[in-house]
Amino acid sequence: MTELVAKSVDSADLVIIGNGIAGLTAAVEARRLAPERRVVIITEQSHPTINTPALKQFAIGKLNREQLLAYPAGTEQAQFIHVINARAEEIHAQERYITLRGGRGFGYGELLIATGSTPTGLPPNLPGADFDGILTLHRLYDYLDLRRRLGEVEEAVVIGGGAHAIETVMSLLYWGIRVHWLLRGDTFLSRMLDRPASDMVLDSIQRAGARVYTGTETLGIVGRVGTVAGVVTNHQELIPCQLVLVCTGTSAVTSLARHCDLKMKHKQGILVDDQLRTSVPHIYAAGDVAAIKDPQTGLYAPRAQSYAAVSQGRMAASMMTGASSVEELGIPWHATRLGGLSMLTVGNVLQWQDTTTTLTDSSRNSYRRMAVIDDRLVGYLSLGPAQPDSLAIKRIIEEGLSIRDIKKSLLKGTFDARRYFSHRRTHSAQRMVTTGKLPVAEELERRMLAMKNQALQPQGNRQEEPMHLVRTMPGADPVAATNFLERNTDEDLQLFADPFVAAPVELERFREQRETTGAPVGASADWLTAERGFPSDGKRPVKTSHIIESTLVNAPEPARSGRRPSGSLWSYSSPLPAVKVNKTQPPAATTASVPDIQQRGRKGQFKAPPQKNGKQRPSDAYPSSSLWSYSEKKRMKGH
Amino acid sequence: MLRTGLSKRGSKTVSLHKTGPQVAQELVACIGCNECLLACPALDEAITIDVLNRETLSGPISTPVARFARSCFQCGACVAPCPVGLSRESMMMWLKVRLLRSGWEKM
Repeated sequence: MTELVAKSVDSADLVIIGNGIAGLTAAVEARRLAPERRVVIITEQSHPTINTPALKQFAIGKLNREQLLAYPAGTEQAQFIHVINARAEEIHAQERYITLRGGRGFGYGELLIATGSTPTGLPPNLPGADFDGILTLHRLYDYLDLRRRLGEVEEAVVIGGGAHAIETVMSLLYWGIRVHWLLRGDTFLSRMLDRPASDMVLDSIQRAGARVYTGTETLGIVGRVGTVAGVVTNHQELIPCQLVLVCTGTSAVTSLARHCDLKMKHKQGILVDDQLRTSVPHIYAAGDVAAIKDPQTGLYAPRAQSYAAVSQGRMAASMMTGASSVEELGIPWHATRLGGLSMLTVGNVLQWQDTTTTLTDSSRNSYRRMAVIDDRLVGYLSLGPAQPDSLAIKRIIEEGLSIRDIKKSLLKGTFDARRYFSHRRTHSAQRMVTTGKLPVAEELERRMLAMKNQALQPQGNRQEEPMHLVRTMPGADPVAATNFLERNTDEDLQLFADPFVAAPVELERFREQRETTGAPVGASADWLTAERGFPSDGKRPVKTSHIIESTLVNAPEPARSGRRPSGSLWSYSSPLPAVKVNKTQPPAATTASVPDIQQRGRKGQFKAPPQKNGKQRPSDAYPSSSLWSYSEKKRMKGH
Repeated sequence: MLRTGLSKRGSKTVSLHKTGPQVAQELVACIGCNECLLACPALDEAITIDVLNRETLSGPISTPVARFARSCFQCGACVAPCPVGLSRESMMMWLKVRLLRSGWEKM
């Protein structure tokens, strides 16, 4: 079946490498946004996409295999997403095709790399590292393997100091296995938790029945007839066991970035900007493989979490299809269950120790720590029996809302997000109740358009942007502080710079179009389109609008980190304005740029997916003009 | 339009109602660990989290999910075990509203 598909398809508009949760989410979302494009997933994995967080429960037999599926079985076929089982080996970004194993080429319009990560495992030179019974838990097969072995294991050693390790410990304890947990450092999850929090977690794990060895490293593994018999530690101790589970972290699979003919920046992951573009045009990265800048610290790091992968997949889809991005990636957010405790970390609690006020509370078997600048929350850490409304706290930090009134309830963990947000927007809520209508997006939209239109103006003197930032933003403002920080420390300032973007001809064209058409929506969308593939640091849409918002427009709210102004109670994820903008968006210049790809798609074996009620775009939303694409391609070649 | 309702359960406030965008965002944040379904006292169908999530969000509602939505009595047992702190209860409420609306449309 797949062979048949593979033979008939040799190019597609949207090619996604990897069918993890990020890849499939991107594919499904791309199908929704662009029903007429051809979406192809190329993957090595032979099973459908699964929810990896559920694997732990699967391993201990709480779930069966069907319950692991991330999307209902057959979603790919129903959504006309073609899955090709092959390994992608090289990217030829100039001609825009990839080569699969066996040397076959596959053309793409837009490419998404979602190859995920691979476990680090034990160092290969460790004595005994190849005995049977040493597992790294990462893929479905690893968990199947664990599940098979569980019956004959009495004692197990877990190595590693992360959330993954703790979940493994807890699932082994569930099976009544004696667990020895070796941590290299003295604390658990040292980058995210402080000492008291870590002690609390370790304590709860110990109470659950595991033996915790802090400051312990593995020197070697002892085996008997090829299978594991024990672990030797640096305290000259031999821990007998039949199973060693290695949870020492993961590293991104960046081999495709290395095998790309244009230089694709990568370190621990493939570096992407805040809209998931890599340093190579038409190529995006999402999921565990993408190293994203933390807006607070300016450091690039992959966010290896399921939630991050899903939201990145969605964003990648809207970028690839040319729809303006609805969501922001925002700040790191990590919520999980650690043994009997719920952990939540939002933002950076441990950074900027000297500039922030830190408030802690350790009552009632729980611990909370907040990092506050002025009265804005910048980091929140919570450990306790119950999880606070975690997404609401993320929103408070991202929007830079004042927490003066809710400081105490946040600290005590009794924060009622629903009440807070409805009180904040009493006005719009009241109007909602009295008129019975949803708050209209028009006003919001008008504000956004104004911002975007004005964003065209200051391009002439873009050099002064950092100065603006420094002068106009109060130093204590977390947003200003981060922006400033980022500009100072970022070694990537050159990363996305491109001389073509600021070409005066282009600017002139934008202005003309804006004046002749008189449709500001179209103009701003053009402007967005021109951005695509040729991003430059100062001109990224979000950035610019952010700068405008904080310097030129008298925004009613204080400056926020990246998020668009949210006008109402209903804009928890603010989808309203973006939907409006989408409708009048011209075709994405870049996706149609290889004309024969488009044509081959029309001819052949791919039916257009069925029309969905009401969700369908108007047919004129994607006029078939390839003028843009042509020029875009030429510029690329010249470059 | 739904009226809002709040109830106290233990130390954590359980909110029955959240807005559509909020529910959509929470559905996106769902990591699919099935903990809520394992804790559910009203579940007697072979429902998996992927189907439930998808049908809560949009599209047609299948018979097992519709039956499950009707048998859900909003006890809130699903809220506490969620590792990422989502409120499955309000998602179920949303599903019920959708079910109701689709029923009306059929009539």
